[in-house]
Order: sequence, then structure tokens, then C-alpha cells
Amino acid sequence: MLFWLAASRAARECGPSYLNIALMIRRRRILGIENASQAKSQNWFASQHATIALLKDMRLKSICLLSCLTIFLAVGLTAQEAQQRSVREIIAEAVTLTEDSNAQVKLLVSLTGRGDANIAPLLTAWKEGAVYLLPGTDGKKVAVTFAGDPDAAKMEAAIRVDTKEPLKDSAGAVVRVLPSKAEAAETDSSLRKAMKAVIDLAKVAAPDPKDRLMAITQLAMDRDVAKLPILEARLQVETDGKVKQAVKEAVALTQLRSPDAAVRLTGCNALEAMHPLSSKDALEGIIKEAAKANDQALLSSAKRALAAVESHRTVVNFLGTIFRGLSLGSVLLVVAIGLAITFGLMGVINMAHGELIAVGAYTTYVVQCVFAEGLALSPFGIKMHLPGMNATGWWYEMYFVIALPMAFIMAALVGLALERGVIRFLYRRPLESLLATWGVSLVLQQIFRLVFGSNNVQVNSPSWLSDNWTINDVIFGWNRVFVIGFAILIVIGTWALLSKTPLGLLIRAVMQNRNMAACLGVRTERVNMLTFGFGSGLAGLAGAFLSQIGNVGPSLGQSYIVDAFMTVVVGGVGSLIGTVASAIGIGVVDQSLQQILGNPVLGKILVLGAIILFLQWRPAGIFVTKTRSLES
Amino acid sequence: MNHSLLVRPIAKHEWIITTVIASLLIVVMPLLNSFGVISDFTINLWGKYLCYAMLAISVDLLWGYTGLLSLGQALFFSLGGYMMGMYLMRMIGDMGQYHKDMPDFLVFLGWEQLPTFWKPFSSFPFAMIMMLLIPGIVSLIFGFLAFRSRVKGVYFSILTQALTYGASLMFFRNDMLMGGNNGFTDFRFILGFDIRSAGTKRGLFIVTAIVLTAIYVGLRCLTRSRFGLVQQAVRDSENRVLFSGYSSPNFKLFIFVLSALIGSIGGALYVPQVGIINPSEMTTEKSLEAVVWTAVGGRGTLVGPIVGAISVNALKSWATRAYPDLWLIILGGMFILVVLFLPKGIVGVPGMIRDMLKKRGRPREPDETPIKTPKEEAA
Repeated sequence: MLFWLAASRAARECGPSYLNIALMIRRRRILGIENASQAKSQNWFASQHATIALLKDMRLKSICLLSCLTIFLAVGLTAQEAQQRSVREIIAEAVTLTEDSNAQVKLLVSLTGRGDANIAPLLTAWKEGAVYLLPGTDGKKVAVTFAGDPDAAKMEAAIRVDTKEPLKDSAGAVVRVLPSKAEAAETDSSLRKAMKAVIDLAKVAAPDPKDRLMAITQLAMDRDVAKLPILEARLQVETDGKVKQAVKEAVALTQLRSPDAAVRLTGCNALEAMHPLSSKDALEGIIKEAAKANDQALLSSAKRALAAVESHRTVVNFLGTIFRGLSLGSVLLVVAIGLAITFGLMGVINMAHGELIAVGAYTTYVVQCVFAEGLALSPFGIKMHLPGMNATGWWYEMYFVIALPMAFIMAALVGLALERGVIRFLYRRPLESLLATWGVSLVLQQIFRLVFGSNNVQVNSPSWLSDNWTINDVIFGWNRVFVIGFAILIVIGTWALLSKTPLGLLIRAVMQNRNMAACLGVRTERVNMLTFGFGSGLAGLAGAFLSQIGNVGPSLGQSYIVDAFMTVVVGGVGSLIGTVASAIGIGVVDQSLQQILGNPVLGKILVLGAIILFLQWRPAGIFVTKTRSLES
Repeated sequence: MNHSLLVRPIAKHEWIITTVIASLLIVVMPLLNSFGVISDFTINLWGKYLCYAMLAISVDLLWGYTGLLSLGQALFFSLGGYMMGMYLMRMIGDMGQYHKDMPDFLVFLGWEQLPTFWKPFSSFPFAMIMMLLIPGIVSLIFGFLAFRSRVKGVYFSILTQALTYGASLMFFRNDMLMGGNNGFTDFRFILGFDIRSAGTKRGLFIVTAIVLTAIYVGLRCLTRSRFGLVQQAVRDSENRVLFSGYSSPNFKLFIFVLSALIGSIGGALYVPQVGIINPSEMTTEKSLEAVVWTAVGGRGTLVGPIVGAISVNALKSWATRAYPDLWLIILGGMFILVVLFLPKGIVGVPGMIRDMLKKRGRPREPDETPIKTPKEEAA
């Protein structure tokens, strides 16, 4: 026992808690304890490597060996027991051992390598004095936390740390105590150090690669040289490709802080090969340092690394801009394609097109609410309640699939009503159809406000639209990829409808010469109606999409209407392919200008100016419909 | 009155009616106000309506007389307002919150000294010249580009809409140094008079009424002159005008710039009366609202826009208080109804009734003689 005390004191005096961890690990290896699962054993080895490396760093090998032996002899058995107990139990025991801080450290150290989710929050709570000691039924002290449910007397229920059950007195009632009166479990500096080390290691060795990635990213940001060994050790055992890459970057970044010039150089070279975007500041720092210290090798290496990072950044920005431009172009295309039909083919200026988009977006919202808890609306003071299906999981996620055709149908119906009620009287007076439909748009906007309120409504993206792919640092959001794909589908569908179906033939005939078509027996009224309904339906589809990437509110349509008209006018009225070309062109130019100017508003103004100038050069748009008639 | 310039002379009784109405506005209303019969609030409100009437006239000159539906008139209106606003901001002097001799928002943005382009606006004549010059230049350039490439019809509307949208985006920015989102407000003095006193408000009303009358009379003569006839011919058939040897783009450009100036004057008179100007005045919706006034009043006439601006705004003042939720529906519905059923507006209603009565006067009687085949006819 004397031996044990001496050794542990030596350990505590000589180094931080990492040493204790090292001791524990040694002991375990000697005992040959191995975790059952592959993942756990990997984590386990990682921490082993880490601590061994640390020990080298601290030059405490000799003491370590000595204490190793002693601990092995003294606590081998208890430790084996500890291994089988749950993390909560171990921590609870450690808290109660108030008299013996060595034993506390020892127990904590036994947690090393366990990727249990309880470790970090419990230890943090203990460190911050949120773990308390209360007398249990048998007179022994019990470690508890408080449930945070103050009653009238501000008393809170005590939760046992070891079982997570409420603490009960001998009568079986839940113990309620005033937290300010309870005895908080204390910690001393050695204990806190041990805690910190255990928490750090637990995070880096977490079983879920995502958690590991987060912990490692944090370490890469901290760039703490003392933790370099942890990272290097992790590098040896990590199997997940993404995490491994992150560890490599973190190692290289941390190496730049090393006191050893050779290590710094290694770090620079590694960064040059990997060129992560996050290393710019670190590299600029090291360049300054190297210039000051006149270290030519390091300076040139760091400069090369920085150049690599910068060129990588240029490529990433370029690709990102192209992608964002394409996706913005697709949004414009989806918004404008309905307009290309009603305005381009029929010559009707439908200022309410934006509100038809909003109809689609609100339909998506309603469908979503019906899939969830339902929806209470009060239009014009009338209470309406749509019952919900309370769907969850994948079935709830499918709401968007149902919402798409619903949005199309609803918008098409509104469009049909608009055509029958207003527009059919104004086919020969385009300027007046502009005014009347603007009136309709005002009315619709106000109806949205009255039905859904003037605030934006919340439309949740299904999970299959809300993730992203990150390829070579370029982020591809699934919703954006989806919009691009869907825009392609819509264009192909519209093209097929117009050029491959009998209805399409009639539509084109009526649009080219209404009187001639009527003379040949085409029911032009009906064709007009269907065409307008189809164009409106496409606007509804656009609305369903915009609900996934932007806000849904009463003025949703207003924010897209100018852009949509611009797209159609630039593309050449009456030309589907022109609309596609101009949408993508405007999208890419807009995003590029934003990237170059670093200012979205200025970019937008320039795009508008460019469009006005472009129409000077080609007044009828990119693709002109050839005609010999004088008046268009 | 020398009518030699006017191809279609103006009847004498029309001059008399105009004089009576103008003197009602210019002399009687302010007098009643000074005797307390009409409240200061009403005078101020009517001053606002008269400014709107100028905006409506500028829309009508383009739309009703030339066939160009411009959605950019709100831009020129607020450009004029901004120029007047800059002068009024300078007149605040060091009475702002920061007690520096420059507008508060500039101090807030961290400017130590007044930016150079702000300095000359301390002078009223300079501000007034700029009030005409800036919208004039903007409309000249835009109109030149648009008419040169024969942008017409709805394309013209959409382009002017884009111009307005772009400009409002610009004015919303703080680094434009025009007050950003909040624009200009908290004015104190105009030409040395306290802008909040009843007397100043009455004075502003009189000036507005005089200017409106001058604009009305001027345009009345213009539309009745040879120039006005060509202008209306452009509306009715531009190709025939072109083939007759007239350069229609030049006519349109002149009208476009002229109406921009009229709008700008309206805006400049509007700002001191309402005491605020910000970029939300510059939106397409405001332009379209002015179009509604014109349509409701009756386009293609000069009285129509004035009647429309005053009546629609009076309705708005009442409806936004009585039924705040329904105002937009009323406005939108009115728009649809006027377009569908009242193409000539309020002013055109008597004419419509007269036409209807005429038709009723001589009902079409069906021709009941049976159609005979050639054989029967021969027999």
C-alpha cells in the first residue's frame, strides 16, 4: 500500500492526468483485457497510442514503469470489476469517494477509451458543481443530480447518477431537496485535469464517425500541441475515410504550432499536399514566423502550401459558383416556364403569375400540415379545421411527393377560374390584361394574408431534400440538385406536350393564328382555357419547389415576378428553348457577379442593367420567332 | 387667347370651368382653411392628393395619350422627392440628434464630413434644378435606349418595371448615402419657414394647386396642338405615323421625358407635405397604383387622372381606416371591374349612359321578311 501511495503521488506531482491514463492503459494491457467489439478495441488502441506518445513527451518513462507495477499489484482486481460496470456507476462511485482523491482519479481513468455518451455530460456537470451528495437510505452518501423541476418550495427531485432513477427514501417516496442546501461534490485540480483528458479522448474515440469528425474538427481549430499525440494515435487506427482525412489535416495544422522546426516543416509539406481551405490563416501565421526567424526552408514550404490552398480555393469557388448559378437558373426556369406559356405563347400578361406560385407553395404547406397534426384556418372569421393524419417517419417524409401534384392541380384550378372570369375578355387588349391581373394579384395576396396570416409559414423540407454532398469541398445541396433535375424534367415534359401530342398541335395552331384555327374547327376557347390552366399549374409546381428553398409568405410571388418576366423577355417570347437558355444564363451571370462583387444587391442591379442593354442588341430576345407581319 | 397653335381649339366655356375650379382650389380652399372651416389636416391631405394627381397625369400622358404603359413613374416621382428631400435634410442643419451640420444617418454611417455631392443641396435653386435634371437624364437615357430598339407594348412595361425595381434596390442600400431603408424624414424648415406650421402647409397647398393647374393647362394645349395629334396617332397606329414620315421614337422620347418631369415635380411637392421619403415609394406597386387612379378616372382625358387620383385616394383614406383588412381586395376588385366594364373610367360614365340611351332609343327590329330563293323571287 505504501508503494501505491508513493507511486501515485509521484504520478500526480510529475504530470497531469494523462499520466494516470497511461498507467491505467499499461495495466490493462498487462491484464490482457480487451473489449468485445471491434470498434471499441480500435478506440481503445487509439487512446493507448496517444498516451504512450504523451508519456514520451513528458519524459516520465521511468516513473511510469515504477508506478505501473505498483498499480498493477494494488488495484488490478478492482479495475477489472470496474470494466464491467456501467459508466454511470463508475462515475457515481468516483463522486462518493470524497476522502480519497487518488481513488477518484483512478476510477475516472478507468473510463478512458469508452465512447459512452454519458461521460462528457456527467463529468462536465461534476466539474461545474452540478453533481451533489445526499445521504441514502443506508446512511452512505449517494451521488445525485437534480431534475430541474422546482416546485412551490423550490425543491427539486434528486436523480441518482448511477441508475438515472429518482432517489427514494426508506418509505419509497422520491427525495426532494433544495439544491442550494445540498452538498455539491467537490473537485480538485488533478481530478479536473483527469476529467478533461477523459472527455477529450472519449470524444475523439466516439463510436459514431460524425461525433468523431466534430471532435477532431474542434481539435484542429484549437491546434493544441499537447493534443498532437492523441491525433497521431487516432490516425493510426482510424478507418473511416472522411474522419481520417480530417485527422490528417488536424495533425498537420497542429504540427505548425510545434516548437520543433522539423515538425513544423512536416506539417507544411503535409498541408501543401492536402490543401485544406481551413489552413489559410495558420499558413499565413507560419509565413510571418518563418520570415522573422529567417527559416528559408520553412518559408518556401509554407508559401508553396499557401499557394496550393489558394489555387484550391479558386477552383472550389469556381465550381461552387457554377453550381449555384445552375441551381438559381433552374429556379428561374421553373418559375418562368409557366410564364413562357401564358405570356410567351398566349400573349397574356399575367401579373398574378406570382400569386399562382404562392398558391402552389401554400398548397404544399397545407399538405404538410395534413400529414402532420392538421391545420386550423380562419378565413374571413370562419373557423376551419383540417384534420391531420399524424404521420411520422418515412410516410411523413413522403408528403412532398403528394404535394407536387396537388400544387399543380390547385394552381391550375385557380388559373382556370382566372381565365374564365377575367382574361378571356381581354385577349385582344394585352395592356389591360396586365392591369386586370394585377388587380387579381392584389386580391389573392390579401386572401393569403387573411387565410394564412401575414407572417411566413413554416414548410419543413423532407430529410431526403435537406442533406448535401460535399465533393472536394464543393457543397451540393440535395434540394438544389433536385431543383436542377426537376427543371430538366419539366422542360422535357412541356416540350413533349407542345410538340408530340394532339393538344400541343392545337395549342400551337391557336397561338399562331387564332382566327384561322377557329375557322378550321378548333375550339379555340377551350384550347385557351387548357393552355392557361397548364401554364398556371406549372407555376404551382414552381411554388412547391420554392417552398423548399425559401420563405413561404403572402408576398412570395412578388419577389419572383420581375425575374420571371425578365427571363421570358430575354429568352425571346414564344420560345421554350430561349427561356431555358436565358434562365441558365441569368442564373450563372447573377451568381458570378455576386461572387466577384461580393454583394448580392449590386449583382442584381448589374444584371437588370445588363438585361436592358442586352435588349438593345437583340430587342426580341435570344431566340426570335420569325414573322413577316408588321405588328407583333 | 391665341389659338393659332392649337389644331383643335378649346371651347370658351371650358376655359371658364377650368378657371372656376382652379380658383376654388387656389383661393377658396386656403381661405376657408385660414378661417378654420377646413381643418389643417384636410388641407394637408388634399395637398397630397393633388401631388398624386400630377403623378396620375404623368401616367396618363404616356398611357392614355401615347399608348405607353410605364411602370416607372413612381421612380421619377420619388427621384423628385429625393432631390427635395436632400434640400430639406440640409435645412435641418445641426438640429439633428447628433448636432452636427449633416444628416443624422451620415453621422451614423461614420462620415466625418459631408460627402461632396451633398454640399450644393443647401441651395434651394440648385436642388430644384437637380429635381428636374436627374429624372430628366434618367428618362432620356432609358427612353433613348428603349425607343431606339423599338421596345413597345408590354415589353416597355416590363422594362420600366425592371428599371424601377433596380433603382429601389439601389436606394435601399446604405452606401448609396441616401438614407437607405429609412430614407429622409424629420424635416424642419423649407425656405426658412417652419415646415410643421399650418401656414406653411397652406402655402404648400397653394403652390401645389397652382403647379397642377399650370400643368393641366399646358398639357391641355399640348394635346390639342399639332404635336399632340401626332402623339395620339402614335398611340393609334405607330406604323402609319412612321410611314407618314414622322420619327415616332423622337415623339415618344419627348413625351417620356416630359412625363418624367411632371412626375418628379409632383414628388418634390409631395415630400414636404408628408414629411418623409423612402425607397418603398419607388416600387412597381406604387406605379401600378397610379395606373389604377388613371384608369378609374378615365384615361385619354386630362381631367380623368385628377378625378381618379383624388377619388381613389379619398376612398383609400376612408377604407384603410374602416376596413384595413379589405382595402387591397377593394383596390384589386375595383381595378378588375374598371378594366372589364368601365374602359373609359368615371369621366366616361356620362358618355356611356348617353350611348346606352341612344341605343335604347332606336331598338334594332328584327328583319322578319322571309328569305326567298332566286326561283321564288323570279316568281
